[in-house]
Amino acid sequence: MSRIRKDPRAERATKTVAEAGRRPRLNLGRREAGPASGRPRRDPWREWAASLAGETVIGPERKRYDRSQRQMNRADAARFARARPGLDATDISPGQPALRVVDEPAFVVFAVLEAAGGRLSRFDRQVLGAARLLADAGDGGGAVVAIMPESVEGLGEAGADRVFAMPEAATPAIRAATLRGAVDELCPRHVLFAEDGDSADIARRLAASVGEPLFADVEHLTARQAVRAIRSGRAEIGLAPPRLMSIGEDRAKPYEAVPCEARPLETSAPSRLDDPAILSVEIIPGDPAKLALSETDFVVSAGNGVSDFAAFRDLAAAMKGTPGASRVVCDAGLMPRQAQVGASGTVLAADCYLALGISGAPQHLQGIAGCEHVIAVNTDLHAAMIERAGLAIVQDAQLVMPALQKLLQERET
Amino acid sequence: MKTIVLLSEANDPISGRPHLSRLEAQAIGLAANLDKTPQGLHVGPSEEGASAALGHGLSGLDVVETSVGEDPLPAIAGFLKNALNGNEPPALFLCGRRGEGGLETGIVPYLLAEALDLPILADAVAIRPGEVQGTLVVDQAMAKGARRRVTVRLPVIATVHALAPPPQPFAYGRMRRGELRRHRADMIPAAATSAESTTPVVGSHEERPHRARPKLMRTSGTSAGSHNLHVGPEPDEAARLILAYLEENGIRRYGND
Ligand SMILES: Cc1cc2nc3c(=O)[nH]c(=O)nc-3n(C[C@H](O)[C@H](O)[C@H](O)COP(=O)(O)OP(=O)(O)OC[C@H]3O[C@@H](n4cnc5c(N)ncnc54)[C@H](O)[C@@H]3O)c2cc1C
Repeated sequence: MSRIRKDPRAERATKTVAEAGRRPRLNLGRREAGPASGRPRRDPWREWAASLAGETVIGPERKRYDRSQRQMNRADAARFARARPGLDATDISPGQPALRVVDEPAFVVFAVLEAAGGRLSRFDRQVLGAARLLADAGDGGGAVVAIMPESVEGLGEAGADRVFAMPEAATPAIRAATLRGAVDELCPRHVLFAEDGDSADIARRLAASVGEPLFADVEHLTARQAVRAIRSGRAEIGLAPPRLMSIGEDRAKPYEAVPCEARPLETSAPSRLDDPAILSVEIIPGDPAKLALSETDFVVSAGNGVSDFAAFRDLAAAMKGTPGASRVVCDAGLMPRQAQVGASGTVLAADCYLALGISGAPQHLQGIAGCEHVIAVNTDLHAAMIERAGLAIVQDAQLVMPALQKLLQERET
Repeated sequence: MKTIVLLSEANDPISGRPHLSRLEAQAIGLAANLDKTPQGLHVGPSEEGASAALGHGLSGLDVVETSVGEDPLPAIAGFLKNALNGNEPPALFLCGRRGEGGLETGIVPYLLAEALDLPILADAVAIRPGEVQGTLVVDQAMAKGARRRVTVRLPVIATVHALAPPPQPFAYGRMRRGELRRHRADMIPAAATSAESTTPVVGSHEERPHRARPKLMRTSGTSAGSHNLHVGPEPDEAARLILAYLEENGIRRYGND
């Protein structure tokens, strides 16, 4: 779609008329296209359309542009495609295909995922990113096989070439046995796990059953070496990436380039579906109200803008979130000190943060720096929390709380 | 129910001196609820750290002395195989989920399970006897405070998670009363068959001083583009937006399912 960049030197060369014995002359009238440099030209239209951030809500309609010169990500690209329907949406980075297909893989790399609740977690994406890195290492040509207990969406975008869904609701012992079958059949060059929960368990079961060492809790992974800490973090060992590895959290970058195809894999791996020692399995969900702030995944937090704290506590319980608060609220004794979020309180590891009536002071924002999703309810359009939020609602928190409570009760019945 | 707690060669993360790993002290606490006289087993060159386990509630400790740098697995497997074939076989073996101060791979319990052909359960936080004789109910720690309650047939190996109840306090008198039995490694018939003795815990490697590497930053997944700002919506509309956002991003699911 983009035009080809002009190459002035090459153009000059085509216009030069060389005659033996005379000075080289330029024939400027000559209108022959010179050889193109091959480098594509910027398309300002495209960038302009992609930076459209929205339209003003109040007053006369005016377009708002975000010109902070961010790289165009996939969401922007999709929006851009809508903005200029005549264009081919997948041609954002010219020269690259829309879908990456590995037909005859030279080797395979397994990525064992948890995919709890049918969604890829951040950690799952990181494991896939690490697997992608190893599959493209050296001459490349490897295929990433994602292995998870249930079918999940978005595996292609996360970098999986093949997908292998294991029988559902299996115990770790059964999952490890199924995985063993797949390993024997496909002989992967690497098998990657997340160093967390069931994945860490399965990794060790597999290592013990195939009789190979497990390089656990990798801190640093490149195509050439994998490094892990030992002796309580006083020493480290690094080797060429071994066959079985478990990756530490937030250690490998997720994959972000062209989507892969995520083709279902046909294996004849027999699924052994019984575990003679286990008589029954029952999952007891955690009670978010009793969890510590640093452990929970969802925090419902109140600031100075909230006045009815009994309603707030009920709401936090109904939303299945852990209650938190800003320092002002804790200082006033309206919430216990353990609930304080921020630099002098708890730094959260949660995925989602719902801030009711919190201004977003720097000390408070430090505490939620790791939260992927932030929802803010505040009466002040210019509060820092509104700017930080992925969903910002300018409204009185005292009105939104009962409305939420009502909606939740309606959903229950 | 006869219980054996496996005690590793652990070093204090700060001082580097031998000590009893906290996970193993917690394991002793779990064992004491099931067995009035829980026993311990330590295989290694010295029992300096492990002997503190008596003070945390073990009533007896078997120490098999091996030379420095020797793989303890054959001796552990041999000792436990002997015990399983004895006239009062143990039913439960508890370990910490990771070692401390060594290679810290946490694979020894799994190799042991493979060698003894026993089932293994990871990350136990609570253990109690099952309703049926010869069974055990184990609560396993999972993400987000969830627990998996598994009923398992004995004998079994379980590893203990850090969220298990805190250990009993150390008591010097209790340590002095505890019985310490020393064994020589060559008296134990090495039960090691092919697999478990040849499985290296880590591949060949060279140690070097640790270099701290920064973790990935966890930034919000929202760019200005996907930022959705709603100025002055009706409260009901705002509530609907919030729940829709939560469900779309897979944080929570509300309603009767
Ligand atoms: C050394 C130091 C350390 C600190 N550490 C921390 C810390 O760890 N954690 C922490 O939280 N703070 C900390 N603070 C305090 C911090 O600077 C702020 O004072 C505090 O976070 C402000 O809390 P707030 O947002 O709840 O209150 P305010 O700043 O008063 O903000 C209230 C917000 O609610 C909005 N509002 C008012 N009424 C309503 C309504 N009806 N509906 C909706 N919104 C409404 C307002 O528009 C405003 O934005 C620290 C300060 C210092 C100096």
